[in-house]
Amino acid sequence: MAATDLSLPLVASDSSPEPRSSAARRGAISLAAFALPGLMISAAHAEGAPEEGVISLKYQTYRDSQPGLDRIRVNAPALHIFAPIAGSWSVEASTVQDNISGASPRWHTSISGASKMEDRRTAADVKLTKYFERASVGVRFAYSDEHDYRSNAVALDGRFSSADNNTTWLAGVSTSRDTINPVNGIVENEHKNVSEFMVGVTQAWTKNDLLQFNLTYVRGNGYFNDPYKLVDQRPREKNQTIAMLRWNHFIESNSTTIRSAYRYYSDSFGVRAHTLSGEWVIPVAERFIVTPSARYYSQRAASFYFDPVYDPVIGEPYPVGAPQHYSADTRLSSYGGITLGGKIEWRYDKNWSFDLKYERYEQRSSWRLDGGGSPGLAPFRAQFAQIGVSRRF
Amino acid sequence: MKAEIAVQFAAMASPCEIRVLGVGRDAAHAAIELAIAEVRRVEQKYSRYRADSVISQINALAGSHQDIAVDAETQQLIAFAAQLYHASEGLFDCTSGVLQRVWDFRSQRLPEQAAIDALVPLIGWKFVQWDGERIALSRQGMELDFGGFGKEYAVDRAAAALASAGVEHALVNLGGDVRVLGSRADGEPWEIGIRDPRPPENAPDQCFATIPVQHGAVATSGDYERFIEIDGKRYCHVLNPRTGWPVSAWRSVSVVGGLCVQAGALSTIAMLKGEGAQAFLDAEGVSYLLCDAHGEVFRSG
Amino acid sequence: MKRLSIHLLWLSTVALTLSGCAMQPPQAWEKGNFARKEMTMDADALDQAFTQHVYFSKESASGGTGVGGGGCGCN
Repeated sequence: MAATDLSLPLVASDSSPEPRSSAARRGAISLAAFALPGLMISAAHAEGAPEEGVISLKYQTYRDSQPGLDRIRVNAPALHIFAPIAGSWSVEASTVQDNISGASPRWHTSISGASKMEDRRTAADVKLTKYFERASVGVRFAYSDEHDYRSNAVALDGRFSSADNNTTWLAGVSTSRDTINPVNGIVENEHKNVSEFMVGVTQAWTKNDLLQFNLTYVRGNGYFNDPYKLVDQRPREKNQTIAMLRWNHFIESNSTTIRSAYRYYSDSFGVRAHTLSGEWVIPVAERFIVTPSARYYSQRAASFYFDPVYDPVIGEPYPVGAPQHYSADTRLSSYGGITLGGKIEWRYDKNWSFDLKYERYEQRSSWRLDGGGSPGLAPFRAQFAQIGVSRRF
Repeated sequence: MKAEIAVQFAAMASPCEIRVLGVGRDAAHAAIELAIAEVRRVEQKYSRYRADSVISQINALAGSHQDIAVDAETQQLIAFAAQLYHASEGLFDCTSGVLQRVWDFRSQRLPEQAAIDALVPLIGWKFVQWDGERIALSRQGMELDFGGFGKEYAVDRAAAALASAGVEHALVNLGGDVRVLGSRADGEPWEIGIRDPRPPENAPDQCFATIPVQHGAVATSGDYERFIEIDGKRYCHVLNPRTGWPVSAWRSVSVVGGLCVQAGALSTIAMLKGEGAQAFLDAEGVSYLLCDAHGEVFRSG
Repeated sequence: MKRLSIHLLWLSTVALTLSGCAMQPPQAWEKGNFARKEMTMDADALDQAFTQHVYFSKESASGGTGVGGGGCGCN
């Protein structure tokens, strides 16, 4: 028989775990083979340059409300591209445009006499990563622009994995410079400079548990006031310490995944916050993944926060006495917040997937961890939703 | 791409080769050592020729009415063997190794029918008592044998060991059962040659086809590895467990799959299926290349 | 700093409780489950960026997962 190249029009299917759709096309023996222990290749945990790119497009909306008030709406189309280049490099870029509209929030805020606000924020970032045998180094530039606020940041991060790939150490530094030019002219060309330092470790705890612990320290100086709040005077220095623990657990008996995280936050303004979140990734039917999620947040007020109690005699709220720093920004008050939501993902085939996410968020002073939240805060509610499409290439 | 590192070695009574590229020389050799160690581990644990293997321990208790507990890896392999038995309607039976007692492919003599008839009662998955954790062979003289997928399993485990060591481009070949990771240089797939089952005398290793593979496995079952030829009729080593006699419909069956253990089991069962091989492989959703008894080649759509 | 160290102590206790059992790092061939998208720490970049941006504008606490997000005036 002559040696002919029959060149079958086929490329064997990848052995990495795939969406169930392709598994369903396999016969009983193939499925049994794929269930054997230790034959799957883990690409996710190894460093090594990625071989596949992905492009995602999302439309994100945000709407909030307080009783009797229609507040801010944000519509934000966003684009994200990840592409391997030249063997051991990858480039990642994203851009988002927030279109903000709605009534001006709450009476103790003003925007140059306007009662309606319209704004647009454009943000973009690009990251270049170089992969080595057991390590990777990335540099990232980020940019955000509104008519009254501009931010530029550069970040450097590195990862290093142990020989067995079960432990990955990460470290990162970044610096950003923000320029603030509020339309009310209360200040001009103000700046804020922030430096961040992070170290972390990711550990494959068991074959079904991945744990990550990160410690972040942030030093900032400059203008931290809200220029649109009449009585707002904050320190010109703000340092933050953040500890975060993330735990992903795969449940073999039903092929679902529980992703949970805890974050402790502390800053020099006196704010202390706890964040606990979890989501349960459940593959249902053949190509659908449903992910219910919940999040609890609690914070203690900043030391210079005062409750904005409207006094019928004095009128607009004002801090008692003559403190050096003061703010009635609800973001600096004591409260708790709860988010409940869910996501549905449709993995159409190996390359295309579609997703839909909806979440409801509510803040109440009484929901603070020990119950002693700031008085006089109206409950605050927000809804966020995202619809997206993603294509691998 | 850095230079390709290739290491040849012998394992499971076969010539073996591992090739790695895309990583530095030292890293490649370290990864290959890890992979070879994994092959040796599988061989020691499951070889029927080693008295201390798990398989020998199970076989030693055949007919004694004693069962034996096996570890998690062995449990999954036995479960896999059970699935192969049921999915092949009894054609793939990992208790059929006893037939090798009478089929001696080094000699050119056929066994006596009476000798075969005496062994057939010892063949049958239904005589295996298996509860998921403990196993017993209920008839004295029975033998369990992972020969039908053990080498292919070792191929996949070796590939996983390479991947865990950070290797993304590699080929593992244990006696013709092949698994590849990633592409070759320049993103080209690996070209896996399929041996001509009836090569000319002056070129015994001639290939009659090549299959491009990226991230997958190729396994071939053929009638040319071990056989007895008498009066122009070939009796190969692939034996039907029901009759105890060799199959003859195909000279060679090559299957391309994601895993070598998958491709290997499918190619063996396809050999046993005879005329039903193509329909069977189509239903399993894999690609294949078949050469029938007359030399005609069939391939998947 | 004293309070912080107390919190870190508490956090490591949580870590040990969460894991529930001793560390048993997987062997090379036991990592198939980590290849699942949902087992990666940052599974959906756009989703994460949007959610963090929303919380950044409504809560004091931020960060923890990486550096260099850059600021915005979303008060």
